[in-house]
Amino acid sequence: MKLEDYKIVFAAVGLIGVLILASPTLGLVLHLPGGEKFSALWVLGPGHMAEDYPFNVTAGVSYLVYVGVGNHMGSSTYYVVYVKFRNETEPLPNVTTGAPSVLAPLYEYRMFLEDNSSSEVPLTFSFSNVSSVGGQSTVGNLAINGVPFGVDKSVSWDAENSGYFYQLFMELWIYDPASDGFSFHNRFVSRWLNMTASV
Amino acid sequence: MLKRVLRASVSFLLVLALAGLFSHSFFIVRGVDEASSSVGEADVAVRQAFNATLDAERAGANVSGLILRLNEAGGILAEAEIALGNGNSSEAASKAGQCIGIAQSVKSDADVLKASALDEAQTVFWASLTFSVVSITAFAVVLMLVWRWFKRGYVRKMLGMKPEVASDEA
Repeated sequence: MKLEDYKIVFAAVGLIGVLILASPTLGLVLHLPGGEKFSALWVLGPGHMAEDYPFNVTAGVSYLVYVGVGNHMGSSTYYVVYVKFRNETEPLPNVTTGAPSVLAPLYEYRMFLEDNSSSEVPLTFSFSNVSSVGGQSTVGNLAINGVPFGVDKSVSWDAENSGYFYQLFMELWIYDPASDGFSFHNRFVSRWLNMTASV
Repeated sequence: MLKRVLRASVSFLLVLALAGLFSHSFFIVRGVDEASSSVGEADVAVRQAFNATLDAERAGANVSGLILRLNEAGGILAEAEIALGNGNSSEAASKAGQCIGIAQSVKSDADVLKASALDEAQTVFWASLTFSVVSITAFAVVLMLVWRWFKRGYVRKMLGMKPEVASDEA
């Protein structure tokens, strides 16, 4: 080996050494981009599992599901989950355009989650003032976590699926500190409920 | 005369009843307005508390405790919103008041946490910068000395070599 070759070896060793010794300071100054940022929204049955969801529902009986939210946005995040109730003709959120459902929320959860954490909250619901006349079912009241709401929703008999189908759905909204406002986070979960049993 | 007195009394009672009716509506509307504005203030207070918590987190503070209290405030705010939507103004105003109290205490704690986290971060930064500068300087000096020693040895070795005569005849 020539002297010039040894010089290159020494320069490489020097550069590596400088990088190693500067790494504590570089670590404080340089921030590498994190992974993909996203939030998760889910609904589970009464046993915290994706099974035994309430489907055939009847008036005067209380049902339990769990609503979960997961934060992977890279920092603590402020969420609102709106609980809405619809019949088959009323609109769901549009995930293509990112627009929420125009229906007014009945109930809401406000959650603050640290990065890479999640939370599950119970959602109990029951129906009252339910009637069925001439192939038309009407739900007068829906109580969510013990709070009564007058809903007055009607559906027609679904001959194909044999039932009166309503839908309970949850929308995820996120707070944006830059605009100091909430926006629909383009995520929702829903459960179909067949009111046949109560008629 | 009696008729006139009777008419005046009836008119007075009517006016009184109407005034009572209007004042009742007035107080109900005012109660709803006050509850609505209290819930609005609670909403703003919670947002400010969250923004302060986020700033503290960005400064490097551990905000787990603040997040727990924010969840408490958020739960109460949700109850206030639901009560307001159901027309229960007094409950909405009371919950909003509770929420504002928690949110304000979270915000002031978050500001303190942020200041101490920034101090700590500055101390850590200067300590690591001092370590890096001193150790890089020492490393460069040692490397330079080693290089000079190595170079001297290499040159001496080269000068001590005897030339070899080789022939390329087969």
